[in-house]
Amino acid sequence: MALQLVGISKSYKGKPVISGVSLEAPTGDIVAVFGPSGGGKTVLLRLIAGIEEPDTGAILIDGVDMTHASPDMRGIGMAFQNYALFPHMSAYDNVASALSPRKLPPDEIKTRVEQIVAMLKIDHVMGHRPRELSNGQKQRTALARALVGAPKILLLDDPLRNVDAKLRYEMRLELPNLLRKFGSTVLYVTQDYKEAMAIGSRIAVLIGGKIVQVANSDAIYDKPGTVEVARLFGDPGINLFDVTPTADGRIAIANAPLSLGQGYGAAAGKTCVLGLRPEALAVSTQAKGASFPVDVLAETPLNEKTVLLMRTDDGKEVLAALPLAAAGNVPLGRAFASFASATVLLFDHATGTRIERQTAAG
Amino acid sequence: MTLFNILVIENLNKVYQRPGKPSVHAVKDLSMTVHKGEIVALLGSSGCGKTSTLRMIAGLEGVTSGSITLAGKRIEELPPSARGVAMAFEGYSLYPPLTVRDNIGFALKAQKLAPEDASKRVIDAAKLVDIESVLDRYPSSISGGQQQRASLARALVRQANLYLLDEPMGQLEPQLRAVLRGRIKSLLNERAMTAIFVTHDQTEANALADRIAVMEGGVLQQFASQKDLKDKPANLFVATFIGEPPMNVFEAGVARAGDALKLAITHGPTLELPAGQIAAPVLAAIGGRQKVTLGVRPQRVRVGGTGLKGKLTSNQWLGDQCHVAADFAGKLMIAVSNDRVLARVGEDINFAFSANDVHLFDTATGAAISHGMAAA
Repeated sequence: MALQLVGISKSYKGKPVISGVSLEAPTGDIVAVFGPSGGGKTVLLRLIAGIEEPDTGAILIDGVDMTHASPDMRGIGMAFQNYALFPHMSAYDNVASALSPRKLPPDEIKTRVEQIVAMLKIDHVMGHRPRELSNGQKQRTALARALVGAPKILLLDDPLRNVDAKLRYEMRLELPNLLRKFGSTVLYVTQDYKEAMAIGSRIAVLIGGKIVQVANSDAIYDKPGTVEVARLFGDPGINLFDVTPTADGRIAIANAPLSLGQGYGAAAGKTCVLGLRPEALAVSTQAKGASFPVDVLAETPLNEKTVLLMRTDDGKEVLAALPLAAAGNVPLGRAFASFASATVLLFDHATGTRIERQTAAG
Repeated sequence: MTLFNILVIENLNKVYQRPGKPSVHAVKDLSMTVHKGEIVALLGSSGCGKTSTLRMIAGLEGVTSGSITLAGKRIEELPPSARGVAMAFEGYSLYPPLTVRDNIGFALKAQKLAPEDASKRVIDAAKLVDIESVLDRYPSSISGGQQQRASLARALVRQANLYLLDEPMGQLEPQLRAVLRGRIKSLLNERAMTAIFVTHDQTEANALADRIAVMEGGVLQQFASQKDLKDKPANLFVATFIGEPPMNVFEAGVARAGDALKLAITHGPTLELPAGQIAAPVLAAIGGRQKVTLGVRPQRVRVGGTGLKGKLTSNQWLGDQCHVAADFAGKLMIAVSNDRVLARVGEDINFAFSANDVHLFDTATGAAISHGMAAA
């Protein structure tokens, strides 16, 4: 195991910021650490890097306890959202600054730097000072500096935060391949769920200093551990309804009878939260089968889809995302929303935890 | 139905003189008209001239030359308060000594409403932007996002010929954004309010605006509906600026034999369009060009079938859509689909697109030549 966090906690002035975080990352794994701001993501990286020490718990790197080791002993590379480049040095010297001239001969340093910057496609700007670089080039220079020392663990703190949308998209496609080439184990902090899904081979969701779920992107999206996790993934966000299912899975939205399908007997009579993703809703001006009536208030087209803002008869706002080809098909006014029972997510109202559908044996 | 042009901008220019430095021509010869009840977005990256334009309409900035006519009256020399516009600007802030409720209510004073009417309007506006819970707080004690929404509410409760909004949803958390967009659009439509808002975020522009004015380098590049910007971009800038991810573009050499057309993609394969498969107006528009730039939107590239080949370099499923990239002609071909693509990174994949989805541009000027089977 390249990195093991064992029950680490950290408080500032008695206020817990990281609470009992445990996480394991095998060599070469890319873990996206995702969550809302203030959730403790950056503090977690600082603890791993050795910039701060945890109050309790242990940090193991390649099986060795590094909890109290100095930062330079840990074999860690770091890159931050603000790049933190030395302004008076050329881009080349910035990258080379991560390698110690006392430990490596000059031509070895040169070879390593040149290799990395060629891979990151910034070899043509190595003579420039940071202020002469575009944001994208700065960000790649910072990344090259973090990678050039061939760190065992690479910590990236929201590295695409300050680059423009186009470059962010390109890097979202490119970064996972690039990182795999270097073979480092990566913790990648982001506040953008799409980035987390695209870049992480696994996603660790950090909310309020606690890891709520660790899973691959499919499982996070299709089987979120809690309502909070479900809310953080998806654009537009998931629709949530309070429901009380019967033993055979019948529920009501604004008094319209609907069904969760089989397998939710355990939730019978309990107050639950029903989650319906906007893309799971179909909207039609005709009531077909089980559906609930809504008033369509507005249509807001996005890029690949169009979004309807609707209101149920008991005043709840609901969003539906339809394929862009369906734009303009549903006029404002009365309509009916329906969903396939296989697409529902159900959560315990009191704890927020997802209730698994029980499938018949065999 | 005849459209009533409530706002007419003609040959508007803004030049900033900077002592000891070259002057900046921020807005160049801008002419546009906005219909009554229309929602218009000024979209562009920073420095494109969109904010200068909005500030000139508001009267926060003088014009260098040109005219602005609102509801039949020339306004470019009038003070902001005499223009009949309501605005929510960053930095055009809330009054610190007043509560949020009084800040919003203050805007209603001029309308001399019955107190209960005014108070209901304030509450409705606060509900709309989700700040009901902070109505009795002072601006300094609420978050930046809440201040922004309070300022938006203050603008929306007013009666005005035109509503000017600067990045109205810049600081909203994503979970609230989609709902708020819908609510604001619904309100503006219901009351037939005319609004112009500035944004750098095309998602915002697409979601809210009836028409979008795309600006770059102080010049209006195209002013059209989001559908037209996507399907009929006027030039290569608009084509690659609008749409996420951006349009795939490749340069290609043109070879014609009668009504057959060959497009030899630089460092890539040659697309052959036999006679009869390409519309005459498109051939005419291509004319004698030896070279064109070819564009196809990622949403129009289908993975599978027989057609073009490339090695898959990434395959990312985002919960409701799949983004794949393949090596093609020395660049990446990006494809987006609503269904999963099952191929793995490193495999060769086939992909295809229809000639109906191909946009051609003049390589030198960037001007559109054709969109699918129609000349631009």
